[in-house]
Amino acid sequence: MKERSRIEWAAYLYIAPAFLLTLLFSLFSMGVSFWTSLHNWDAFAGSGAFVGFANYKRVLFGGDSVFWVALRNTTLYVLMVLMGMLCTALPLALLCRKAKYLQGLFRTLYFLPSITPGVVVSLIFYQLFGLWGQLLDKSTTALFAIAMMGVWSGMGYNMLLFLAGLNEIPADFYEAARMDGANSFSEFWHITIPFLRNTLVFVIVMTIIGAYQVFTSVYVMTGGGPERSTQVLAFDIFMNAFSVAGQMGYASAAAWLLFLVIGVFVFIQMRLMKSRRIYDE
Amino acid sequence: MGFYKRNRLGTITALLVMCLGAWVMAFPYLFAIGSSFKSRSEFSTDKFSLIPPRYQPAKLWNRYVGGKHDPEHEAQLKNWYPTRNYVEAVVYGGIDRFLCNSFIYALIVTSVSLFFNMLAAYAFARMKFPGRELLFNILLATMMIPSVVTLIPQFLVIQKIGLVDHWLGVVLPSFAGAFGIFLLRQFFLNIPSELENAARLDGCSRWGILWHIIAPLSKPALITLGLFTFMGAWNSFEWPLVVLSNENYYPLTVGLALFRDQNTQDWPRILAAGVMGSAPLIALFYLAQKFLVGGISLSGMKT
Repeated sequence: MKERSRIEWAAYLYIAPAFLLTLLFSLFSMGVSFWTSLHNWDAFAGSGAFVGFANYKRVLFGGDSVFWVALRNTTLYVLMVLMGMLCTALPLALLCRKAKYLQGLFRTLYFLPSITPGVVVSLIFYQLFGLWGQLLDKSTTALFAIAMMGVWSGMGYNMLLFLAGLNEIPADFYEAARMDGANSFSEFWHITIPFLRNTLVFVIVMTIIGAYQVFTSVYVMTGGGPERSTQVLAFDIFMNAFSVAGQMGYASAAAWLLFLVIGVFVFIQMRLMKSRRIYDE
Repeated sequence: MGFYKRNRLGTITALLVMCLGAWVMAFPYLFAIGSSFKSRSEFSTDKFSLIPPRYQPAKLWNRYVGGKHDPEHEAQLKNWYPTRNYVEAVVYGGIDRFLCNSFIYALIVTSVSLFFNMLAAYAFARMKFPGRELLFNILLATMMIPSVVTLIPQFLVIQKIGLVDHWLGVVLPSFAGAFGIFLLRQFFLNIPSELENAARLDGCSRWGILWHIIAPLSKPALITLGLFTFMGAWNSFEWPLVVLSNENYYPLTVGLALFRDQNTQDWPRILAAGVMGSAPLIALFYLAQKFLVGGISLSGMKT
């Protein structure tokens, strides 16, 4: 007993590599990002003058800023993906359980997009959307098309999460409900949904956080066009920071503003992690 | 009787809907594979068919069974050998090099991050030291930072170290991750500590325990985490796109985007390259799927 309660200083050596690296590329990086956003950063000179919150002002109110358009597009994209995800993933999980056969095949097929590089998926859908009436060439349908691809890529993964959640519901509950003469809808509403609450919230929050950062599909398929209809925030930030523009400070300010938007959902997720057994056990 | 009938009807309906869904999932893949075997002219005239026109069953039947040799069909078969797009993607696009790069990056990231994360996770699970809770909570907090905020500063840090356009710059930021540490720690905590105590009494060091007792027992968790890390590294696009400019170092994802820009009119070739880029990972997951049972339910396993 005495042996076990002794402080082991070697522990610091064990955690040092992982801890320092993680810190360098997350918390420390966030500090760097904020610092950059207060400067008129020149990527080539590696320095820049302090400008206070001028970058934020330019992002929010500048005449050349596409921030608001991008925020609107991104939010629309998030909403479409979220709706699509909720309308597919959970029903598919329920159906997958009900269809007693071929479950292994379904799981594998629906999971495929999760292990296919986003670039490849985007290239394939670029062609498919072209065949189905030039969806990407019209400013009215382009964002919708990209969102549909987002749903297609993510629904199988979320279906598996829901299936895992469904498997944890004790069968007795359903039997008891059937004894009481409950129909399948009230079973769903009074047993399935309450038991799946944690999974449901997890899927919703992760979908929102992920969708707000959509980049690859826009980069590969539309490049923000046509008529800025698919200009999303992550793409805007990337273009400002790393393409011809090279405006690191301006892009960092936009990134921080996006972080504030995502932060709301991150906060919800943190609360959940603390209070519920989503990760633990 | 009525109950069973309703039940069976439900099963059949569910099966039908799931099959329809399966078709929706499979169709883009079939389209890509089919198109990757088409010649350029076949692709431009007949985009919709999943089987390249020159291999349509009726035509093949006429040729090989019926013995009828349609000159047009003969010409088609003659000037486009089946794997031509694949060969050309390698010869003109250097897809093999991109594949190789991706493989090396993913392998380095997976092995190093498993090693570092395992060390940290073990210390957090079993060792006693001041500040353990605090440090672990800091790590957990880093999990919440969206990558879009860290992209630019990550680049600035890598630039400062002088690793821009260097292979090490591509992999370094993925060498450790809070999620992996968290997951492994959870797994280690569930291993009964009696095993370890016995080994300690026999004079086994912490290091020895970690490698000879903990690691073998954690194989399922290590394999699952390793697979998902590998997948994340293989699919990563934005970071290598930002940090690399030398084409020789491009991973597959960035290489494919480049290849698309160089061959804008040659979609069968692009799709062939895409098929080559996705096949390894799909094969890997197929081979490892028995280890993955329950792996997904560790929840949030997406890097």
